[in-house]
Amino acid sequence: MSELGIRSRRQIKVMESLRYRVVAPIVVGALVSASFYMTTSRVKAAEADTPGEQQMLPVEHAECAFFGPKREHYMQALLNKARGGRGESPRGLLTRQVTARLPQFMPGGSPSHDGSVSTTGDTIDAYVLGQLQTLGIKPAESTNDYEFIRRVTIDLTGQIPTPAQVIQFVNDATPTKRANLIDQLLASSQWVDKWTMFYGDLFKNTATNSQITINNEGRNAFYKWIHDSLANGKPYNQMATELIGAQGTNNTDQTQGNLNFLILNYQGGGPAQDIYDAQTAGVAEAFLGLAHVNCLLCHNGRGHLDTLSLWAGQMTRYQAWQLSSFISHTNMPGTASPINPATPNAGRLTSWAFTTGTTDYTLNTTIGNRPARQPLPGGTKTVPPLYLDGVSAPAKGADYRASLAQFVTKDMQFSRAAVNYVWAHLFGIGIVDPPDQFDLDRLDPNNPPPAPWTLQPSNPKLLDALARHFISSGYNIKSLLREITNSQTYQFSSRYAGNWNPTWESYFARHFVRRLWAEELHDSIVIATGIVPTYNVSGFSNASTYYGVTSPGFGPVSYAMQLPDVKTEPDGGGDVSQFLDSFLRGDRDLTPRKEEGSILQALNQMNDAFVENKVKSTGSAVTGSNLVALLTSGIPDNQLVSQLYLTVLSRYPTATELQTAMSYLATNPSHSQAAEDLFWSLFNKVDFVFNY
Amino acid sequence: MNGQEKFDKFIEKYPQPHQHFTRRPHLTRRKFFEIAGAGVTASFLTNHLSAAPSIVQFPVPMRNTAQNVIYILLAGAPSHTDLFDYKQIPQQPAAFAPTTINGAAFPAGLMPKLAQHLQNGDFSIVRSLNSWGLVHTLMQTWTQIGRNPSGVLGNISPNIGSVVAIEKTQPTQLFPTFLALNSGNCAGPGYFSAQYAPFKVTPATGGLRNTTSPEGQTRFNSKYALMHSLDDNLRIDSPLGTAMEDYNVFYGAATGMMYNPIVNKAFSYTTAESQAYGNTSFGSACLTAKKVLEQNQGTRYIEITLGGWDMHVNIYQQAQLPTLGKQLDDGLGQLITDLQADGLYNNTMIVMAGEFGRTVGPLTAAAGRDHWPVQFAFFGGGGVKGGTIIGATDPTGGTITDFGWSRDRVVRPEDIEATIYSALGINWTTIRQDDPLNRGFYYVPNSDTDLYGPINELFG
Repeated sequence: MSELGIRSRRQIKVMESLRYRVVAPIVVGALVSASFYMTTSRVKAAEADTPGEQQMLPVEHAECAFFGPKREHYMQALLNKARGGRGESPRGLLTRQVTARLPQFMPGGSPSHDGSVSTTGDTIDAYVLGQLQTLGIKPAESTNDYEFIRRVTIDLTGQIPTPAQVIQFVNDATPTKRANLIDQLLASSQWVDKWTMFYGDLFKNTATNSQITINNEGRNAFYKWIHDSLANGKPYNQMATELIGAQGTNNTDQTQGNLNFLILNYQGGGPAQDIYDAQTAGVAEAFLGLAHVNCLLCHNGRGHLDTLSLWAGQMTRYQAWQLSSFISHTNMPGTASPINPATPNAGRLTSWAFTTGTTDYTLNTTIGNRPARQPLPGGTKTVPPLYLDGVSAPAKGADYRASLAQFVTKDMQFSRAAVNYVWAHLFGIGIVDPPDQFDLDRLDPNNPPPAPWTLQPSNPKLLDALARHFISSGYNIKSLLREITNSQTYQFSSRYAGNWNPTWESYFARHFVRRLWAEELHDSIVIATGIVPTYNVSGFSNASTYYGVTSPGFGPVSYAMQLPDVKTEPDGGGDVSQFLDSFLRGDRDLTPRKEEGSILQALNQMNDAFVENKVKSTGSAVTGSNLVALLTSGIPDNQLVSQLYLTVLSRYPTATELQTAMSYLATNPSHSQAAEDLFWSLFNKVDFVFNY
Repeated sequence: MNGQEKFDKFIEKYPQPHQHFTRRPHLTRRKFFEIAGAGVTASFLTNHLSAAPSIVQFPVPMRNTAQNVIYILLAGAPSHTDLFDYKQIPQQPAAFAPTTINGAAFPAGLMPKLAQHLQNGDFSIVRSLNSWGLVHTLMQTWTQIGRNPSGVLGNISPNIGSVVAIEKTQPTQLFPTFLALNSGNCAGPGYFSAQYAPFKVTPATGGLRNTTSPEGQTRFNSKYALMHSLDDNLRIDSPLGTAMEDYNVFYGAATGMMYNPIVNKAFSYTTAESQAYGNTSFGSACLTAKKVLEQNQGTRYIEITLGGWDMHVNIYQQAQLPTLGKQLDDGLGQLITDLQADGLYNNTMIVMAGEFGRTVGPLTAAAGRDHWPVQFAFFGGGGVKGGTIIGATDPTGGTITDFGWSRDRVVRPEDIEATIYSALGINWTTIRQDDPLNRGFYYVPNSDTDLYGPINELFG
C-alpha cells in the first residue's frame, strides 16, 4: 500500500470536479418543471385550464424506476440514514448473529497481522484506522487464515477454495502468503469470470430489457467484450471510453460488443430526445454514480431532490439537457437482416449502427416518455452540450460522444464512482452508500458543505485516496482489488470482541457478512461436490456461420459465473435457472440483484435436484464426486467428517460438531446414506450460505 | 365548501409529494371529537398490542365484514371506458355487445361472466376514482402501499398486504399471510420485518416446487434434524434483532410446507380445473387464490397482477383488449362463482383496480388510448353490497360528474386502502411508532386529520 503514497506524488492531470455548485444559476425555476404528480387541482386543470396543461396529459412520463422495482434498493439507504443511533441495519444484525459463534469453530491458523498499523500515510489502513482512532472505535481483530482464504476466494473468484488450497495456505509459513494468495486469485480465470459478472451487472448486459432486444448474440458479444477487456487488463477509463464513444456497425455477427452498452439504454416509444436522455442517465449511473441525473432529465432538482442531495437539489433540468446533448449527434439506425440469406424469412436479427450525425438536442417535444421539452422564456430551441462541471464543452468539430467520454473519464468523479462500486461489493456498504447516489457537493474533505449538511462519504479521505490510487495505477481494476484485499481493513474479522455499537457501521471497523450471490452458491456447490455440470448458453454456438460471417459463438459452460446473463440462462436449464432465480440474481433492468432470504430459497437449497443429485454417493450422476472419493478411500469417520467440513465449509469441525456428526454416522443403518445426509446438512448451514 | 374543495385546500396546504413528517401523531381532545364524532364509546387511545410499538388509534367504527382480501392489480392501466365505466364508441368491435344491466352500461359480449355477476348483484363499481399521477411504476406502487411512494416515509412504507400480515399473522399458521401470485415485482414489506413480505408464487399445476425431498420424508426428517443440531448455535437465540431470526423463520416455514397435503391441495391443480378459469396464468392465479383460501391456513391477503393493459396502439385488435378482457372475465368470473359456491365470498373481499385510466372518446391516431387520471375500481364480496355504482362520469368518461359518496370528493387510492382495512377489521387510523424515521407510520396517511376514509357506501 505504500505504493499509493509514491504514486500519488506524481503529477496527475485530473479535472477536479468537486466544485459543481451552481453559483449563479443560469435559469432559476423558470423551467418546464412538470411534476410527476397531479394534485387535485392539476387533475381538474388538466381537463380544461390551459393548453399547456392539457398538453401535459397525453405525455407518457418516464418509467421512473425509483418508484417501482428499484424502490427497495433505495429504501435501505433511507433506513440507514434514518436509523441514526437508534438501531442496526439488517446487515449489521446478520453479521452479529452469523459471527456469534465463529470463534468456537475456527481453530487453527494464525492471523498474519497483529493489528498494529500506522495511522499515518496515504493508505487505506491509515485513513480507516486514523478515523477509528479519532472516533474511539476499536477495530475487530484480523481474520484467521481459514476465514481469510474463504472470504477472499469468494470475493475475488466467486467460489469457495478447495480443501487442498485451504490446507496449503494455512500451513504456508511465508510472511507474504496473503499477498501471494491474492496475486494467485487475481491471475486466475475465475477472477475474470466473477468480475465479468460484476461489470455485466453494472453495465446491465442482457438479451432483452423492457425497452429493446439485442438478441442473445448481441448479449454474448457484449459479454465477450467485458470478459476480454478484464482478461487483457484493459484500463477502466479505456473501457468507459469505448462504451460511451462507441462507433461503428454492430453487424449481424454481433462482434462489436461495446456498442451494446448504449443500445441497451435505449428508450422506445418517444422522440429521439427520449433516447438521448435514457442513454445519458445510463452513463451517469454506471460511470459517475449519479442516478439522480435520471430525475433531473424530467424536472429541476428543487422541490424533488433537495432533501436527498445538495448538488442535485440545485441542478436544473436544463443542465441535465446540456449533458444529454452530448449524445444528440448520434444516428442509431437499426437494420433487420436475415440470419441466413437463403431463407430470408426464417429468422432475422436486428443490428444497430452508430454514426455521427448532426441533429442537435432540440426543445420541441410535447409527447414521449418525459415531460414536454420546450424552450425557456427567452431561451433558444437548441441545447448545446456542456459537461456537469459547467466548463467543458466539445472543441469545434469534435465528436460529441468522444468528447463526453473524455470529460467523464477525466472527471475525478469517474474514479470515485468506480472504486466505490467495487468497495461496496467487498464491504457490503459503500464509502458513499448507495453507490449510485453521489452528492457532488459533499465530497471534498477539505471543503465541507454548509450546515446542516455533512460530508457524504463515511470516510472522505479514504475515498479520495482510493480514487487517486485508481488513477495513478492507470485505472487498473486488478490493482484496485489488490490494494483493497491486502489492506488490514479488508482483513478485519466479521467477529467482534466487546460491545459493538451499531452507529459504527459505516466506518469499516469490522467486516460485514453477505449472502452469496446465486452464482457463487451454485459454483461453490459444484466445487465442493466435485460434480461438474455442462450448460449450453442461448445464441449461436461455436463455429456457426450466418449471413456469411462466422459467429464468435458461445461454447458450453460449467459454472454459473460464466453465464452471460442473469435470466433465462443456462439455455434449457429450467430447473437450474429457477434455482438461481430464487436467490434473486436480478434482471439487469429494473430489478437489482438482492441479498435477502426467502422461503423459496430454503426449499430450493434443501430439496432442489441441483443440490440433491450432487450429494448422492451412488447412481449415474456421481462422476467426480468428492463424497464418493472420500467414502471409497476407507478413512475412519473422524477423518471423513473433518474432510467433509473442509470440503464444504473450508474449515475443520469443532469438537462438538465432530461428535454429533460421528454419532450420526455410527448410529445410522446405512453408512453411505448417513454420509450423504451429513454432506447435505453442511450445504444448508448458515456459514455455507454466507460469506463471512 | 364541499368535500372536494376542503380536500383541495388541504392538499394545497400540505402538498402530497412533499409532505413533511415533522407533525408527530398528536391527538388533541378537539381533534378527537371532530373525527370520532358521535361514535365515541371506546377509550381515547387503544393500545391493542401489549408490547412495543406504541400505537395511536382513533376509535373509528370498522366494518369487519371480511376475513380475506384478494387484490387484483390491472397493471398497465386498463381503459375504464371500455370496461367498467363503459361508453360506447363507433370504433368498438360489435362483439363487445353492450347492454344495460341494472341501469349500468356494460360490455356483456366482452365480459359475459362478469355481466352475469353484475346482473346478480355480486359486485359494485366505483367510477369516481381519480389517480394522483400518470406514471406506471409510481402509481402501481402508490396503489399497493396506499400513499405517495416518493414521500419520505413513502419510500419505506409496506405493501397494504404487509400491514395486513403484521396485524393478522398468528404464530401457528402454516401459510404466509400475504401471498402474491404472478406479482414478481410487487411492493414489499417496507420497513417491516421480512416475515411480512409477500410470498411470491407463480402458480403451476405441480404446485410449489421442492416441497418434497427426493429421498422421502423419513430420511428428510433425519437429515434436517442433523442439520439443526450442527447449525443451531447459529440459528437459535437472536436476541439482537430480526434478520437471523428471519433466516431461521424461512427454513421453519419451508419445512412446514413440505410433505404437507394441505400445501398440495392449495397450490397444485389439474388442467381441468384451470380450464374452467380460462387456462391462462391469470386464471391459474385466481384458481390458486380460491384453493389457498379454501384451506384456511392463515393467508389473508392475496395480490394478483394481470398486466398488459397499456394499450396505446390498436387497442381493439383481437390480441389486445378482446383477449385480455376475456382473460379477466374467465378468471375473475369463475373466481366469484367458486367462492360463492364455497361460502367464502361473503367473507372474502375482491378489490380490483389499475393504476390509472385511459383517454376517452374516439381512439387516438394510433388507434389506442393514452393515459388519463379517471379510472374505476371493482369491489365484490366480503360485505360489499353488490349492484352499487358509486360515482358517475360525463358521457365521454373523461370527467367525474358525481362523486357518489359521503366525503363528496373524488375517491383516491388512500380511500381504497382505508376501505380494505375497515373491511378486515383493522383500524385504519392506526399510527405505529416503530418506524425508523420516528415520525409515526400511518396505516392510512393523514388519518389524524381524517383526510381519507373507507367508502362506507359500498357496504350493506
